[in-house]
Amino acid sequence: MDEQERSRRVLLVDDEEAITAHLAPFLERAGFTVAVAADGETALRRAEDFTPDLIVLDVLMPRLDGREALRRLRQSGNWTPVILLTQVGSPSERAMALDEGADDYLNKPFEPYELVARIRAVLRRSRPGVPSLAGARRLACGPLILDRQARRITLAGREVSLTAKAFSVLEFLMLHPDEVLSRERLLDAVWGWDYPAATRAVDTRIAELRRALNDDAEEPQYIETLIGQGYRFIGRVEAGT
Amino acid sequence: MKKYVLLLLPLGLGLALAILWQTGLWPNPILYLRADVGTLFLILGLVGSIVCGLGLTLWTLTQTRCEEALAHSREEQADSHRRFIRRLDHELKNPLTAIRAGLANLADGGDGPILASVRAQVDRLARLSADLRKLADLETQSVEQEAVDLGQLLTELLNLAQERPEAGMRHLRLTLPQAPWPLPPVAGDRDLLFLALHNLVDNALKFSRPEDTIEIRAFEDGTAVVVEVADTGPGISEDELPHLGEELYRGTAARTVEGSGLGLALVQAIMARHHGTMAIRSRLGQGTVVALRFPMAR
Repeated sequence: MDEQERSRRVLLVDDEEAITAHLAPFLERAGFTVAVAADGETALRRAEDFTPDLIVLDVLMPRLDGREALRRLRQSGNWTPVILLTQVGSPSERAMALDEGADDYLNKPFEPYELVARIRAVLRRSRPGVPSLAGARRLACGPLILDRQARRITLAGREVSLTAKAFSVLEFLMLHPDEVLSRERLLDAVWGWDYPAATRAVDTRIAELRRALNDDAEEPQYIETLIGQGYRFIGRVEAGT
Repeated sequence: MKKYVLLLLPLGLGLALAILWQTGLWPNPILYLRADVGTLFLILGLVGSIVCGLGLTLWTLTQTRCEEALAHSREEQADSHRRFIRRLDHELKNPLTAIRAGLANLADGGDGPILASVRAQVDRLARLSADLRKLADLETQSVEQEAVDLGQLLTELLNLAQERPEAGMRHLRLTLPQAPWPLPPVAGDRDLLFLALHNLVDNALKFSRPEDTIEIRAFEDGTAVVVEVADTGPGISEDELPHLGEELYRGTAARTVEGSGLGLALVQAIMARHHGTMAIRSRLGQGTVVALRFPMAR
């Protein structure tokens, strides 16, 4: 935690007062300057006058829900990083959250410590005023191009066929370059739940990806294994058009 | 009631016409019809057939309508049940998030035994909420259709089970067919099948006692691939058996064992998405067998 991070501004948007009343002081103690809004319209206004570095946005809210607020924010050219707090957490809901241009999302009921960790991670990879990878249609890393809309991957111009799960794993890895992602986190993001001892399911998909991308586990170009911790995408990822 | 009205309708009609003619409103000539006995019986037979035919059509019509209504109401019931589960899950989430944030604020001054126990209970509720979500998800999410090698999956499961502390005191066995041919693959979602079988083995470990035997066996009988998880545990009484797949049902034996009460409901939902079935046989004092049947493609 450096001095600069201490003064980062976070806008917390949730209609449940019980949540904001407890979460705001917690975030403040974690070193952030916090403002609170209770609905989407107020959130959009506060995004202008409070100029937050990051917005934590609940999806289900009265008047203007989180998804619509996020859409309007992005349409007005505001690229402030957003972490969505999702409720239903079904796979389609999660895919939608990322499609709308959220930088990350967290399922309720989350651990507050996890939220702080996510806020720090998103702030670390964001550059002010620049659209983040989360809103990009395509992700590119050298010859590897992942088309998020067409759900297609090409390597040096040639199409690579993958299972739907493996595609989602690669997408999530490329959206979080240089970040250590635990198997549990990948399970939660791609499979949608964490079930006991299923971390092997992640390993199976990573092996499939490595085979498809000709990536050597010993000297990886793309996916690195961190023993006891998880996986990390080590290539440089750029947003393509 | 309608049936009896229909039955009396011809009689009533005849009676009404008879009254009309007899009162002399219309001319009432006497008919001299002559017929031999053979023709009479032919006509009687014909009339009888027509009456029977009409009755039969009416009966089948009402029958199918009844069945349709029944199926419809059953579907409606299942639907409202699903909505209820979703709402319950939904209503749990916000308070749980608030409680966790509140706990995190309190815990900054050091985590005492009271806070730790409250946190454990909150985690338990969060797990319940997650399981409810899984259950609701399962009804709608897409299920992958890959060829799953159940033998390999069960071997993996056995290795995992053997790492658990309970496993050391129980006799765990896996039997897979080799002759004349190995187990054919099953079309489905490997991760979901893993979850289903994991829940069964987990139950067998949780509800058996030290020195009990747990057998996992798989075979194919020409129409289906069957996986059975059997244990020599305390068994389940007959009146509890039909309720085991219900959400949040906890049998008498389960009251002392930790769990959400959704394990078997999840297995049942997963089997339904794979066009398979789950069946439980149990004898009190002898043990329990849970069998999963995956119909084979013809």
